[in-house]
Order: sequence, then structure tokens, then C-alpha cells
Amino acid sequence: MKINKHLIKNLDWFLPAMAVIITLVGIMTIFSATRPPDGGQHPSYFMKQAYWLLLGLLAMSAIVSFDYIWLGRAAYVLYVVGILLLAAVLIGGRSGMGAQRWLSLGPLSFQPSELFKLFFVIAFARYMATLKSPLKGTDIIKAFLMFAALPFAMLVKQPDLGTAVVLFSLFIALVLTKGVGRKVFAFIIIAGIISIPFLGNILWGELKDYQKNRIVAFMEPAVDPAGVGYHIIQSKVAIGSGGFWGKGYLKGTQGPFRFLPEKHTDFIFSVFAEEHGLAGCILLLMAYLALIYRAVDTARKAKDEFGRFLALGITFMLTAYTVINIAMTMGLMPIVGIPLPFMSYGGTALLGNFMAVGILMNIRARRFELFY
Amino acid sequence: MNKRAVILSTIIAFGFVLVLVRLADIMLLNHERLSRAARLQQVVSRDIEVARGTIYDRRGRELAVNVETESLYCEPKNMDAPGKAAAMISKLTAIEHKTLLKTFSSGRGFTWIRRKLDPDVAGHIKRLELEGIGFKTELQRFYPEGRLMSHVVGLVGIDNQPLEAVELRYDDTLRKPGGMVMVLRDASGMQISEGMDTQARGNSIVLTVDSGLQYIVEEELQEAMLKWNASNAVAVMMNPYTGEILAMSNRPTYDPNSPAESSSQMRRNGAVADLYEPGSTFKLVMAAAAIEAGAVRPEDRFDCSKGSIKVGKWTIKDSHRQGVLSFKEVVQKSSNVGTIMIGLELGRNKMVRQAENFGFGEKTGIDLPGEAKGWITRESPSEVATASLSIGYGVAVTPLQVLRAYSAIANGGVLVTPHVVSEIRTPEGYPMIELKPDAGKRAVSAKTAAALKEILMAVTEQDGTAFEAAVDGNRVAGKTGTAVMRDGNSGGYSKGKYASSFVGFVPAEDPKMALIVVIYDPKGGYYGGLVAAPVFKNIAEKSLAYLNVPRDDSVEQNILTVRAEGSRQ
Repeated sequence: MKINKHLIKNLDWFLPAMAVIITLVGIMTIFSATRPPDGGQHPSYFMKQAYWLLLGLLAMSAIVSFDYIWLGRAAYVLYVVGILLLAAVLIGGRSGMGAQRWLSLGPLSFQPSELFKLFFVIAFARYMATLKSPLKGTDIIKAFLMFAALPFAMLVKQPDLGTAVVLFSLFIALVLTKGVGRKVFAFIIIAGIISIPFLGNILWGELKDYQKNRIVAFMEPAVDPAGVGYHIIQSKVAIGSGGFWGKGYLKGTQGPFRFLPEKHTDFIFSVFAEEHGLAGCILLLMAYLALIYRAVDTARKAKDEFGRFLALGITFMLTAYTVINIAMTMGLMPIVGIPLPFMSYGGTALLGNFMAVGILMNIRARRFELFY
Repeated sequence: MNKRAVILSTIIAFGFVLVLVRLADIMLLNHERLSRAARLQQVVSRDIEVARGTIYDRRGRELAVNVETESLYCEPKNMDAPGKAAAMISKLTAIEHKTLLKTFSSGRGFTWIRRKLDPDVAGHIKRLELEGIGFKTELQRFYPEGRLMSHVVGLVGIDNQPLEAVELRYDDTLRKPGGMVMVLRDASGMQISEGMDTQARGNSIVLTVDSGLQYIVEEELQEAMLKWNASNAVAVMMNPYTGEILAMSNRPTYDPNSPAESSSQMRRNGAVADLYEPGSTFKLVMAAAAIEAGAVRPEDRFDCSKGSIKVGKWTIKDSHRQGVLSFKEVVQKSSNVGTIMIGLELGRNKMVRQAENFGFGEKTGIDLPGEAKGWITRESPSEVATASLSIGYGVAVTPLQVLRAYSAIANGGVLVTPHVVSEIRTPEGYPMIELKPDAGKRAVSAKTAAALKEILMAVTEQDGTAFEAAVDGNRVAGKTGTAVMRDGNSGGYSKGKYASSFVGFVPAEDPKMALIVVIYDPKGGYYGGLVAAPVFKNIAEKSLAYLNVPRDDSVEQNILTVRAEGSRQ
């Protein structure tokens, strides 16, 4: 244990404060989204989410108390554990909504992919820290085989396409941030362009029908408003009817009246937008932006290469999830089914996000410490 | 690293700006359109369910009111013990256990089990406190007078939807001021906000019908039905000056409080919906046309001593052989031979025009649903057709049309518009609208009407066809009718089936009521004078007493008494 006054003085309270504020707004919105319109029993989602918040804060504190160097040492072990968890889901997982994402542990069920993405970031940051900049072509291929190929394939198999896409772009982003030579950069771009049709074809063949429908719906929601375009249309109706000032808290109707599917999970933003309007959305986006810039700043100030890449990876992940989720609710992207960090109902994701906050705090608090 | 941080920050900012631009696009520029889309799918306008207004008779007696009842429903998805619930409810409601169990195990949402339950049973089930079982208070229409006047008042269905008569015709009024209410619905179409307002009551309606007179009519008609073992019967009483229906009764009839036990045949209001060939009551048309045309005078004589007349290849007989009859006697004794002689002389056109002036072939305009308008044969004006028309064949009329024609004689020649509703009142009971139909067109001149009244009064004299209709104390003017009924299937005339009727008004000099009685297919007698006239007489006598109508001679008697007393001093 390395809790001392020096560390506590250096602890960053801004990050957890932002995270808790957004989570509390999320719990309020979950409460509103799931309220029964006809005065029946209120489902307990918001209470469960509050318990998960406490659990997340505990996990966050635990992570802060250990030097993140230990995370680096355990990184590859964690990565293997993560891979095993994904495999366990594929073998014995519980399905929901056409996908096999949940793993039951007694009364609890959790989504290993939500934890895996954190382990992935830790392990990949550890690996990138050991490499020299700029990266050579062989480095990238090695890294791809070790860190991208297998989990990507497993996530697509689940299928959890959203997480797969985020992790793949995370991989590219960290590689580019590390720095590549001009030739390698050009190669990545050209290879990417050439492979898109092939990959696209393979992917399209692998996609489940509901995923194909989502992409069709994204292109042309009006084709089948009652079917595949329904999510997008109803989400846009919810957001648009908010107007500038919103309808007011507990006055939204799209969620409680069951027009909006997944109202307390993937489409929680639409519910928030309907009730709090553009004004509320701007405040919420500013909160996310503040959190993310604090994370960027943490990466900038990190004392070592591992801490820097770890912080960058987390930053990129939070950003990607936030932007993709909101863009999805507005019909800017196909519906890939990823949650909005801190807001969406879902225990594992919330736990993982607070662990990520703990890691960021850890890096930031120990930025002045020297190696022993 | 700082340079990279700037690039990264820029990329992140770009992502957020993109999101923000799109947000502004949806939330500001498309706000109107998307709000409308939300309203369109969430808000629907429904009729406010108000408590239907009360229906009163002309003396303020309640004929249709509302009582609160409990309706039983279940929500199978919330039930924890469907088997137990099914067993208990099955025992209490006598609904089959299997049926209940199937519903309860379906896992569905809201489902009715039984609407408008017996209060005792509802109480028992409530005390069980079963999970997923609930009650909803609903208003049920109740008719305190039961089958009395059911053909005028009508009835409503399980959802209080109007089915017959005044309930149907005045449905809007009985539900106003109700109007529409905006209610919210969810994605599955379930109504979320309450559209019902049990405090809101619709306007009340006051009928022209007097339940006292109605009771008299119902009783006498029922007795005649039993006595003659008839298939159907109709009686309508009307104020001949105003067209107010005072009583309207049909046999068979039904109890509006048990809608499931009534067939459409029982609910049919024959007074306005059933067409029949009137026979001799229609001779009024010939007589009126003849007088209006100036073709005859009451003293003109016609030789009917042959007892039959040949028209084309048909021979038409009188029921009793008569001698030489005056015009008045032709009607009084209902001579077919005499009537046809006059009819042929007049010609078909004059009689058709007169029939139309009496309102035959068109609806009377009564404020009840399902009225038939009838017809006058449009076939080529052969002698046979003319002869048939003069004695009331080849023409289809409703009992109410005949009654209206005779009312015109009673009131001095004007066609009235029959109606059953006199007034609409606010839910609080304040008068709102008085319904007084305009007096219709003139059917005959006042002079003709007076002459015809004179002739019709002779019908109930000792030597008329309907001495049986004569009332003790007041003169009756009227006419019998005995017509062979058409066979419903073949369209031809059926053997031995008659429609016996009597129509008239009383007191003849100052009519308080016009009344028609039609008995269909009586067994053991069929002449209108024998079957229908006594019913008329009984109804008229009791009704005159009920209304405290003085005897025709009482005014003079009173004057005499006063004079006598005066002279004594």
C-alpha cells in the first residue's frame, strides 16, 4: 500500500467529480426513462445502477492505491484473462437480443467485453511503451497479430460489433500516435483503402441479419419505418421534440411510452435530450469534453511512456464511445449497440469506466514520482 | 508530445462539434416536424365517455338512468397463481374453469374477464385480493320501467353504444356536452391518460310519451295478443294537433335490461318500420278525394244491392250484402262495391294525389330510427289497379302513416309531424331546447275534414262497422280495416291471414287523442270491427279517464245544473 499524504495531495478530484456527476445525471435519466406511464411498479434499474456506482467508486479507489506500474507488470496476464473471458462467453454465455454477450456468475451477470476493452488498453499500452518510435512495418504486423486479430475475431463472433470497431480504431489510433515512418503511414492508408471492399465483403457475410438491417436502416430509415428504421426514427423524434429548452425532467414521453427501444441503455441520450433540450445537451457534452480533456492532459503529463499510452488509450476509448453513441442516436452512424459511458444502464460498463477513471487518477497522481 | 496532444485535442473537438451541429439541426431546425411526429403517434383524440343523459317521460318519470357497476379484468403477465385464481373466480362467476385458466396463463396484458358484474360477486372477488386481478368502475344503463316503452326508449350495448330508438337517434344529445378529449397512448396503443369523466353527464331528454297511457296501451295490447293468439300487434296514440306520440307499443316486445335475451325481431318497432296493406282504413283517401273534387255529396246514393262488382276479370264482394247506400253509408258500412264505384269514377290520379297529400309514400319524419316510407303502386293505371287502390290494396303503409292521416281529419286538415321527444334539458335539469316540429302541409281543406269527421263518427254508431269501438260518454270517429296479409315469402296474398285494424280519434268533436290498433294474424275472428275495435275502445276509455277528459254531455249538464241552482234562488 502506498497511501501517503503526498499522494493524496496530488490526487485529481476533478476527474472523479465529473464522472460521478455524469453518472448521477445518468441515474436520473434512467429513472425517467423507465418510469411506468400508467402508475404501475417502477422498475429498479436506477437503484441497481446506483449500487454499481458505489461498486465502481470502490474499484476506482482500489486502483488508485496501487502504483500503476503494477498494472504494467500484470498487463499481459490481464490480457490473457480477458481473452479467456471472451472465450468463456462464446462457449457458455447467455444470449440477449440476438447476441451472446453476458456471462452469469451466480445472481450477477456481466459483459466480459466491457472489462476486456480495459485489459486490452492496458496490455497494448504496455506493448507500445516498449517499442521505439517511429514504428517499423514489422512492429505493426506483430502488434496486429498479438493484440488485434484474435479479440477482433472473437468480438465479431459474439457478435459485439460496436466494441470490435472501437477496439480496432483504438489500435490504429495508438499506432499512429506512437509515430510511424512516412512509408509505413502511406502503406497503412493504401492497404486500408484496398482492403475495405474485401473486409467489407467478409464482414457483410459474417453479419447477422439484424446487423445488416441496421446498416440498411442507417442508409435509408424511411424504407421501413415500422421495422429496421424504427430505432433511428423514434430516437430522432425524441431528440427533436426536445427543442432548445427540453420538455422538462420526467416530462419526456418517447421512453416511458415505449416508443423508443433500449431507452435506458443505448438510447439514454435521446431520453435526456427530449427532457433537457439542446441547452441540457450542450452542458452534458461540455461535461464529457471536460472529462476527456482532463484525460488528454493526464496523458501529456504522464511521467513515462506506459502511463502516457495508457492514458491515451483510455481517452480515445471514452471519446469513441461517447461520440459514436450520440452520433448513433442522431442517425449519423449505423446502430452498433454501444453504450454511452457513465450514462447508459449497465453495471459492467459502469464498473469498467470507473476503473478507467481510477487508472487516469493513478497516472496523474504519480506524475512527479521517480522510479524506485 | 505536445504537438500530438494538440492534434488529438483538435480531433476530439472536431468530433464533438460534428455532434453538436447535428444536434442543433435536429433540435432546432427539425424541432417542429419531429414534435409533430411525436404528437401524432402519442396523442389521439377520443370521445369523452360521459354518463349518458337521463330520459324522462312527459311527466318526469325516469325511463333510462345510469348505475355504477364493477367490471372484472385481469393482467395475466402480473399473475403469480393463475391456477388458484381461475378456480376461485370460476366458482364465483360460473365462467368455465378451462377458459379462465387459458386466459390467465397467456401472459398477456389487460384482458376483460366479465363486464358489469353483479355487485355481490364483485365484492366476493375483491375480498380475495388476487394478484393480477382488478376492477374498473363502469356506468351501466338501467331502465327502471323495463319493457314498458322499450320500443321508444331503446337500449344501449355493453360499451354503452346506442342500439335502438331514442337512445340511438339522440345519442349525440345524450352524450353532450361531451366532445373529444386528447388522450396519450403508448407504442402498443394502450391508452395512458384517462379519457373518461364520470362526473360529466350528458343532456337529458324529455319524451312526449306518458308512461301512464303507455301502461294502459301495453296492457290492452297484451290482452288482445293473448285473446286472439296474434303474431304481432301495434298500437300508437298521438296528440292529433301536435304530433306528440303519447304511447307506442309493439308485440312482441323486449326487456332493455337484458339485451342478450332479445332478438332483432323483438326490438323491431313495427309502428314505424313495418309495412302492411291497410285495406278499408285507406278508404279515407277515396272519400277525401271525392269530397275535395266535389264529385259527390254525402247524400249521393250508390246502388250496392248486387253485393259484388266486376272489375276486369276480378269480382270483388262486400262482406255483407247492402242495399242502395248513400256516400256516407258507403264509408260507414265499409262497402267495397260502393267504394270501387266511386273510385273508378274519380280515377286513379286523383286518389294517388290525395294519398300523397295524406303523406303516404313518404316518411312521417318521426324522430325514431328505421322508419319505412312505404309505396303506392306505380303500375299502369288499369281499372283493377284503381279499384284496388280505392279499397286499400296495392299500397304499403306504416301504422303511423295511417294514424297521421286520420289525425289530419281530427285537427281540421293539417298533416302533423309525429315525434317522441319534446324537450332537451341540461345535465342540471334546466330547459335547453324545446322540440316542436313545424305543422306540415295541408292534407285536405278544413271543410272536407269536417265532412269526413261527420262520416267517420257514423262508423261507431249502432249501424256502423265498429260499434265495438264506441266509447261510453264520448263520440268516436274512426274506421275499421280488415286486409288480407301478404305472404312474406311468396309475395302473394296468404289465405286466412288478416291484418285487423281500427284507427280513430276521440272525443270526435274535440279530439284529445288519435289512436291506431293493428292486430296481425288473429285466430278465431278477423274483422277489424271485431278484433281491433274493442282494443281501441278499452284503451280510449281508460285513457280518457286517466286524462280526466269530461264526457261530451257533461259541459251542458254542468251548465244546466248551475242554471237549475240559480233558478231556485
